[in-house]
This record gives sequence, C-alpha cells and structure tokens, in this order.
Amino acid sequence: MADQPVSPTQDKYYFLVRRLHSLTGLVPVGIFLCVHLATNATVMAPGEPGAMFQESIERIHALGPLLVPVEIVGIFIPLLFHTLLGFQIIFTSRSNAQQYRYGGNVRYMLQRTSGMIAFVFILYHLWQMHWFGAGLGGGAFELHDEAGVATGAATTAAAIQSAWWVVWAYRLGIVATVFHLANGIWTSLITWGITIRPNTQRVSGYACTALGVVLCAVGLGALRGFATFDVTSADPEAVMSSGTRPAERG
Amino acid sequence: MSRTLEVKVLRQADPHSGSHWETFDVAYEAGMNVTTVMQRIAANPVTADHRDTTPVAYDACCLEEVCGACTMVINDRVRQACSALVDTLLADGAGVIEVRPMTKFPVIRDLVVDRSPMFQSLKRVKAWVRVDGYYDLGSGPRVTRQEQEEAYPLSRCMSCGCCVEACPQFNDHSAFIGPATISQAVLFNSHPTGKVDRDDRLAVLSGVGGIVDCGNSQNCVKVCPKDIPLTDSIAKAGRDTTTYKIRQWFGR
Repeated sequence: MADQPVSPTQDKYYFLVRRLHSLTGLVPVGIFLCVHLATNATVMAPGEPGAMFQESIERIHALGPLLVPVEIVGIFIPLLFHTLLGFQIIFTSRSNAQQYRYGGNVRYMLQRTSGMIAFVFILYHLWQMHWFGAGLGGGAFELHDEAGVATGAATTAAAIQSAWWVVWAYRLGIVATVFHLANGIWTSLITWGITIRPNTQRVSGYACTALGVVLCAVGLGALRGFATFDVTSADPEAVMSSGTRPAERG
Repeated sequence: MSRTLEVKVLRQADPHSGSHWETFDVAYEAGMNVTTVMQRIAANPVTADHRDTTPVAYDACCLEEVCGACTMVINDRVRQACSALVDTLLADGAGVIEVRPMTKFPVIRDLVVDRSPMFQSLKRVKAWVRVDGYYDLGSGPRVTRQEQEEAYPLSRCMSCGCCVEACPQFNDHSAFIGPATISQAVLFNSHPTGKVDRDDRLAVLSGVGGIVDCGNSQNCVKVCPKDIPLTDSIAKAGRDTTTYKIRQWFGR
C-alpha cells in the first residue's frame, strides 16, 4: 500500500519500464502474433496442400543469416521482457473476481491467467517447433529435408498430430494468447489515455472483441489445417528422412 | 407479526488479535439500515446462542452517505452501513446480513478501521488548492460551465475507501495509491488555481504506486457510492503522466 518503501532508482525508471511493458506487448509481440497466425493460416489455401504455406515461410527464411538476429531482437527479447515484467505485475495483484463479479474484473483475472497459460504454451511451442528445441528432442519444424524437398507443412502437421492432446494444447494456447492480446489492446488504449469515456471504452471493447474473434478464427483455422493435413500424402521419402512421421514419433 | 434478522458480524477485539464470527438475532423494523442493526445489537449485546458479548464497535457519522465513516463490507460488497437498507439486502436474496470490516485497512476494533492511508495518499498528491497568504487575492480565474460540470462529480469523493477495497491492485504486495487519490489529483490539476502544483502531482502519479499500477479491472467505478467517473480520471491521468514524462525526458 501507499506507505511501502521505494528505492529512488526503482522510482526513476518505473514509469518507463511499465510503459515499455505495454509497448512491447503491442508492437513487436502483438504484431508478430498476427503475422504468425496469418502465415500459418495459409496452410488452408487451396491448391497443392502446404504449397502456399511453404511459399510464405520461404519468404520469411529469405532473410537468411539475418533471420536469427531479427528473431532475437524483434521477438524474443521484447517477449522475454514482457513476460518477466508480466510475472512481477501478477505478483502485485490479488484478484477478487469471485467476490466482485463484474465483467471488467473477470477480464482482469483472465488477462493474468491467459498470460501465464501463454507463457507455458509458448515454451512448449518453442521446444516442439523451433530449432531451440532441437537439442532437447523437439524442434520438429524443418523447412526442407536433406534432399531439399519442401517439408514445412508436413513436419509441422506431423508434430501437431504426434499425440491426441497436442491439438488441444494448441487450441488452449491460441485462445489464451489471442485473448491476452485483444484484451491487452483494450487496456492499453486506457493506459495510454486514448480511450477515456466509458462509451469510448465500450466501442473500443467491441473493436477488440472483433479483432480477437477474427484472430481466433485465423489461428484455430490454421491449427485445423495442420491437424487434418495428410502427412502421408507428402513425398514419403522426404517425410521418412525428416523423421517426423506420427508413427515414428510414437 | 415480528420477524427476526440473522446478522453475522466479524469481530476483532483489537488490532493485534484474531477475528471470529458472531451471530445475532435482531428484530426486523421497517426501513432499518445496517447502522440501525448495529444500534440494536449495542442495546442488547447477546449472541443468537444467548451468550453475553460486548457491543459491536462501528463507525457512523453523517448517516446520509456523505462522510464515508461507516464504510464496511456488507454481504460481500463494500458499502456504507447508513445507506445499506435491510429491505434492499433482503430483496437482493440474502437470507442473512453478513457484516465485516474493510480488508485493505488496519482494523482498530470490530468494524472500525484506520483509513489514514487514504489521507496520506491525498497529502502525497497535494489534493488541495494552494492559497498563498491571507490578503485579498481578488477574484479567481473564470471557470466555464463545462469545467464546473467536469469537476463537480470528482469533488463528491468522501475518501470512504470503497474503491480501494474493491481494487485487486490495492493490497499488501503493491504500492498502488488507489483510484480515489488519482481522481483527486486529476480534479486539482483541472482547477485553475490548483494547476500550479500540476507537475508535483504528476510526478507522484508517474512514480511507484502511481497510475501504472492500475490494472484496469474497473471495480472502483462499479462500487463507488458517489458515482464518481474514476475510470475517466484514471485514463486522463494515464494521458497526462505520459506527456509529463515526455516533457521531463526532453528537458522541459
């Protein structure tokens, strides 16, 4: 409460750090999430299965040696900062949504809950798909196999289909992450003093809900695309050599 | 026909002892409020199971919801005992009336709490208009009708503590100064004479426990008995602190 002791350095950067928390959630991480879900949704594109998805990720990987620094500086550092500060914020909160069951209070509680779910989900997701996880038995995603055959969609789909619960973990993870972004945009508009009046906040609430629904549809649609992707229809040699056939992953 | 109310009160003998529930049977009277209920218990301090006890200590002052002294948690919602009508509580579906002290302030005894943290916060943000000297300063700056209408709702704050009691960000683990104080800082920053201390107030609001510790649960505006647009004040403070900090960083 008010009379808690405060160190001067903490005081000096407190505002800046908390505003950066808001900003990192919106700009690098939020925009990345939209692009990421939209890219994945191309797996549902008509035509050769996975071809457009492959084309989209080839375009990202065209960055070549710049990809890793861009990923680290543009996504992982802001995300890590947002996450660590997010946990500190959660430690200062004492939810009372059981006692005061107002919509805003329930969203306050869900913002913190969805943040923690997203944290666990993203760790799992990175281990499973990203090359970060390759040394730990994960890192399933391969753009090409050794023969240079496109395996982007096939390896992703094989990982999603590797156990019955994976698709459910992704459903929960996607919904939690999208809620966290959509509700985060709504609160950030208040934080930055853009929406002030209750009526304005109501309208921005509708807009954020619409964004959340669209992003959920895109994300869950992409997930469905991978969950129903016929892994065996892809060149069996290529899938075999990348070692990600569902049966082999056990 | 006489009707009996079951009244549960969370008792605590002094600031350092533990608390326990006591149940009282109180004869229903038409139009009674929770303060009346406390008066009846004080007149006959006997529990429902016929044990003699001490009268319940409670604060009450204006009895018309303008002083905030009788703020307590009644049937799980923070409000004033004087304006908590028994008929309304019963109509809300509660079979019993459950009364406990606010949880965000130190308990002095029973339902009496020490709300001085509220007043300490008001001092930190200089929630007043500085008047320098006793000589005639002449007439003040002109205040437009629109400015008056913006300021008046904020001026109704009685520092009762409802907003901080319902605020999930106001607790032992957070330095948050709470919605009422932020709103008062916004009120005095909007005052033509109060403006002189504007940056001092914004310095506090942009510090630890200030505006950034708000979590936007918006419980404050829901429980405020005076319908103060606290969330408007919070958003305005968010905007003003941002521009204040930018001015600071760029040396003005």
